Amino acid sequence: MVTASISLRGVGRTFGATRALAGVDLDLKPGVTGLLGPNGAGKTTLLRLLATALPPTQGRVSVLGLDPEVPAERTNIRRQLGYQPQEVGFPRGFTAFAFVDYIALLKEWTEPAARHAEVRRVLDLVGLSDLGAKRIRAMSGGQRRRVALAQALLGSPAVLILDEPTTGVDPEQRVTLRTVLAELARTSIVVLSTHQTEDVAALCERVIVLERGRVRYDGPVTELTGQAAGRVWLADEPDPAAKVSWRTGTGRYRNVGARMRDDVEHVEPSLEDAYLLLRGGSPEHEVAS
Amino acid sequence: MTTALAPARPQTGVGRTTFVALAAREMRRFVVNPVFLFAVVITAWWTWAGRGTAVADIGLVNAFTAIFLGGFGMMATFWLTRSMRASDPVVGVTPVTLPARTAALCAVAIVPFGCGCLALIAFLHFHSASDPAYGAFSPSARIAVVAGQIVVPSLGGPLLGVALGRWVRFPGAALVLFLVLWSWVSLVTVVSGSHPDSAPVAVLRLFAGFTFFALHSDAGGVTAWRGSPWFFLGWQLALCAIAVLVALLRGAEGRVRTRIIRALAIAGVAALVMLVLAAAGGFTHPVTA
Repeated sequence: MVTASISLRGVGRTFGATRALAGVDLDLKPGVTGLLGPNGAGKTTLLRLLATALPPTQGRVSVLGLDPEVPAERTNIRRQLGYQPQEVGFPRGFTAFAFVDYIALLKEWTEPAARHAEVRRVLDLVGLSDLGAKRIRAMSGGQRRRVALAQALLGSPAVLILDEPTTGVDPEQRVTLRTVLAELARTSIVVLSTHQTEDVAALCERVIVLERGRVRYDGPVTELTGQAAGRVWLADEPDPAAKVSWRTGTGRYRNVGARMRDDVEHVEPSLEDAYLLLRGGSPEHEVAS
Repeated sequence: MTTALAPARPQTGVGRTTFVALAAREMRRFVVNPVFLFAVVITAWWTWAGRGTAVADIGLVNAFTAIFLGGFGMMATFWLTRSMRASDPVVGVTPVTLPARTAALCAVAIVPFGCGCLALIAFLHFHSASDPAYGAFSPSARIAVVAGQIVVPSLGGPLLGVALGRWVRFPGAALVLFLVLWSWVSLVTVVSGSHPDSAPVAVLRLFAGFTFFALHSDAGGVTAWRGSPWFFLGWQLALCAIAVLVALLRGAEGRVRTRIIRALAIAGVAALVMLVLAAAGGFTHPVTA
């Protein structure tokens, strides 16, 4: 059995004088991979490359053993691809069902009965089965994102690319979506970009951190979190030795610092702590309250 | 809510099946477009209201059909073509290529074309081809005149709307083009009225998607102008082909693009030849009957 895979070798992408990605080497296998990084790090550009929406200006991309630069092979990739972009506009007057049905038609579900059953299935997966007849323009932001996710799930694709899928989605739905994605990731490559580190921690076995178009970290989530062990502590005041400090709900300050400390009250690090530590907190020492 | 993932894979219907299904979907969206519905209703009303009424010259009647089915049809297909633009990030990564989607939109023009054919039949029923209002043209040329004034604009206008929607971002482009075409036809008609003998003016008059072939004056009956209605019909059809090819060119790659450009060159030459023949053929001077 051939395992589905994606590989990028020396991939770069520029937009005029702006370099969005540079020298990216990645291999992706079935499972959920999280993509973290600050705004402008190149996450969306990388996802668009994987989704065949954008060609690289340097290097080679291979998706499921196919070359997206070759039109016929690109079409074959798209037959096995689900993509939820960061921003999706919806045509005026479309209901959730009609929109997903239209996309299903473009995904070559030509037999009406099978297509309608599939549309109902994916709307059910994202918790919109009761809102299929509602016009998208009348939906909330979170519901619209779920419509966008539903179309990406059509046909349980071998490659699922999700750009901030949980933004604006309520906690209950986020948990449900994690279940759906985890199930799909048994056989499919799922790549999701997000600013919600808790989603990555809960769902992904692997995390890639991008910074200024380059891969800053690529490895298991547990390993990245482990790097912060002994570097997160609570104190009554913001610690000048910490890279980042913020006031928690208990009134105490959570400090994340680069150096191990023994003389403080350590707490279990989260992925967010590890991410902030990796990024050096921020360009300068930061205290948030 | 169900979270189980069905082992669903697209029931892939390749090529032609997908195209037919997509074209049928676009037609359903087109026929409920308020602009098109208005055009159909007003054309039907206009045709019915004119039954049994003596007309001074047929062009004055047919111009309204061209304006409504052709001009309003152009605006409706322009809207239809642009309607999915907001969803491009999703639609653009489906297996159905942009030229294939454009072809499905072009197929929509069958609907206004059919309406144009019905309008032609109704017109011939209410205004017999032997009516003096047609001018001094032969019986076959009279059919060519009304086909060129009713049927072909009903086809060409909507095709032009698709081409415009694919290439122009400005939302009011169809309305602007409609006004430009209307102004051009009005201008060259006025000039033709004052210079009926001029060959260059005849070329200018025929250099349009719609033209008048005869003009009624209270003093001297109906004057048939220079030009061949049959070759003008050829010119109009070549313009239709050019509109389709220009629309298909958007997003075309590789060999498909090369073929489209080659076909465009052939259609361009054919259009030019037809225009020259239309100007050189038919009456060589105005004939009043």
